[in-house]
Amino acid sequence: MTATIEAPVVEMPADAPPPKDSLRKRLHIPRFSVLFSVLWLVGLTTLTLLANYAPSVVQSIMYPYSTKIRANGKAAKYLAPNAQNWFGTGKSAEDIFSHCIYGAKVTLIIGVGATLVGLIVGGFIGIVSGYFRGWTDRISSIFTDCLLSIPPLLLALILILRLDDLKDVYSWLSWCTRTWQITLTLGLVAVAPFARIVRAQTLTLREREFVMAARSLGANRSRIIFRELLPNLVPAMLTVAFTGLGILIAAEAGLAFLGLGVESPHTWGKMIDIARDDIDKAWWATVFPCLMLFLTVLSFNLLGDELARRFDIREASV
Amino acid sequence: MAAAAHPPRFGSLLLFEVLVRYLVQRLLRFAVVFFIVTFGLMVLMRLGMNHPGDPARTMLGGTVTQAQIDDVTARYHLDSRLIVQYWFWLKGMVTGDMGVSVQQNLPVSTYIGTRVLVTFFLGVYSLLLAIVVAIPVAVFQSYKRDSVRDKFLSVSSFAFVAIPPVVMGVLLIQLFVIHLGWFPRTGEKIYPWDDPVAHVKNFALPVLALALPVGAVFSRLLRADMVRTLQSDFITLASAKGVSTQRILWRHGLRNSLFSLVTSIGLQLAGIVGGAIVVEQLFNMKGMGTLLVSTILSKDLFVVQALSAIIVATVVMVNLVVDLSYALIDPRIRQMRALS
Repeated sequence: MTATIEAPVVEMPADAPPPKDSLRKRLHIPRFSVLFSVLWLVGLTTLTLLANYAPSVVQSIMYPYSTKIRANGKAAKYLAPNAQNWFGTGKSAEDIFSHCIYGAKVTLIIGVGATLVGLIVGGFIGIVSGYFRGWTDRISSIFTDCLLSIPPLLLALILILRLDDLKDVYSWLSWCTRTWQITLTLGLVAVAPFARIVRAQTLTLREREFVMAARSLGANRSRIIFRELLPNLVPAMLTVAFTGLGILIAAEAGLAFLGLGVESPHTWGKMIDIARDDIDKAWWATVFPCLMLFLTVLSFNLLGDELARRFDIREASV
Repeated sequence: MAAAAHPPRFGSLLLFEVLVRYLVQRLLRFAVVFFIVTFGLMVLMRLGMNHPGDPARTMLGGTVTQAQIDDVTARYHLDSRLIVQYWFWLKGMVTGDMGVSVQQNLPVSTYIGTRVLVTFFLGVYSLLLAIVVAIPVAVFQSYKRDSVRDKFLSVSSFAFVAIPPVVMGVLLIQLFVIHLGWFPRTGEKIYPWDDPVAHVKNFALPVLALALPVGAVFSRLLRADMVRTLQSDFITLASAKGVSTQRILWRHGLRNSLFSLVTSIGLQLAGIVGGAIVVEQLFNMKGMGTLLVSTILSKDLFVVQALSAIIVATVVMVNLVVDLSYALIDPRIRQMRALS
């Protein structure tokens, strides 16, 4: 006689239905914050480009840079915001709105330029030290430690002031205008954080199978670095670039506020510095440049945050 | 036998050795960074001084006699090689003699003393305030994760991150000084032991302007870590065993989530010192930042060197202390170091 043992039947709980995506996700509409930052940045860039290179297009809303607003036959100093001057007028009867847009050009150029310098130099240092490790890594990490031990704004301050002097002494430095000075020094400031993040990413990437596969196929170092590692580093670099842009633009405003800005056109930091003493008489002359600065930095930060979330790069988020 | 060749070493001895080795490594690193940066800054400050009698002539400024130049040059060994000058300067710094502000004819230590103190207060208060605000906010957010209040706090902390110190300072002045009139416009330096109330009033706005963005960064870092910690098994176990929510949050959760926050303190400190330069200017405080700008312009070399050395040493030292304290607090990090 054979005993049949029946397996007890266990009721498995039915899987809970996956949570339904929201309407926004199903329609592939980006988050509000992303939408806002993209719109803001694209709008600002377009307006700036138009104002500088095709002034006739924006004639109806903006004034040429050196226009003095006149009312009742005399220069209208500190005119409150109205239909003609959206953001009011400033100390020397200039239109604040137009000046905000003209100032954006220098700010954006310096921000993007400094980020590129930081990305190229920092990215190079990061990849090389992460890939070769050993002494290369040790020496370059001492270099980045040195850069990180000086407060960024202080380093930029010393370098810009020194370059001002050196320009008078050495004629071969004469190409170095204020814009170049600020771009290069802020780029140097950005090198260390960029190098750190790229190094950390390279350290994990170089152990992955595809790198080993390339190496076993006989690929040389430069091929591994440029064809295998670099494309995989692009998400990380893009993410830090956006976060870094926000920080560098804020730093540029700080420098301009301290009187180390570009002479003309005034950037937002300089506009704040000029108008802040009369803030009780004319809040608009200070508050609107502040707002422009805030929204621009915020937009870059939001985009950086979104990219960090998409690519899952924790170190790069603010 | 393998066991005999490597006699077993017990935890505390191994731990001690690892900590000592780690400490020595970090101290060496600290020294190397400090030497490179201070020497580099010294070289940078002297670039382009090619006139006869330099750097003494440029340091003195204006019209000076040859005798004065010779005197200063001889006193500070300015005619010898840079590395020798650096040696003498370093020796002076160690023995407490920071040199003389040639233009003010004052010892650097008395010239910069009060100013360093103003910036010191500014930095310490801001860092403390940032941490004190960030921790409860982040703990609350991680406890009420994805609630409306959490989302609101997330959005507002993101907004605070994006406000540069310049903008923050201007807005605070507009609100608290002009509209409400609660605080004075300029921060005169008043020591806490002279007049505590006036001290707080003077420092409140500059400290807020510096601390809020940093606090927002801290709370974002801590929230992310804390959310991850609260999802781990030992928290589930603790709550299953009936540990109270408060204890889970503040003892089990917080202690295991401090890593990102603590490691970012060093980086944020550098940011605070940089921001202090702007904030001092904005509130007309007589701190290190304003002095530094004016002395770089007037090429008062010893003052610049002393100020930058103080700042660099502080930043590096705080990083070192933070690193070490974390290794001491968190057993996991200790073990990681012991194993590697």
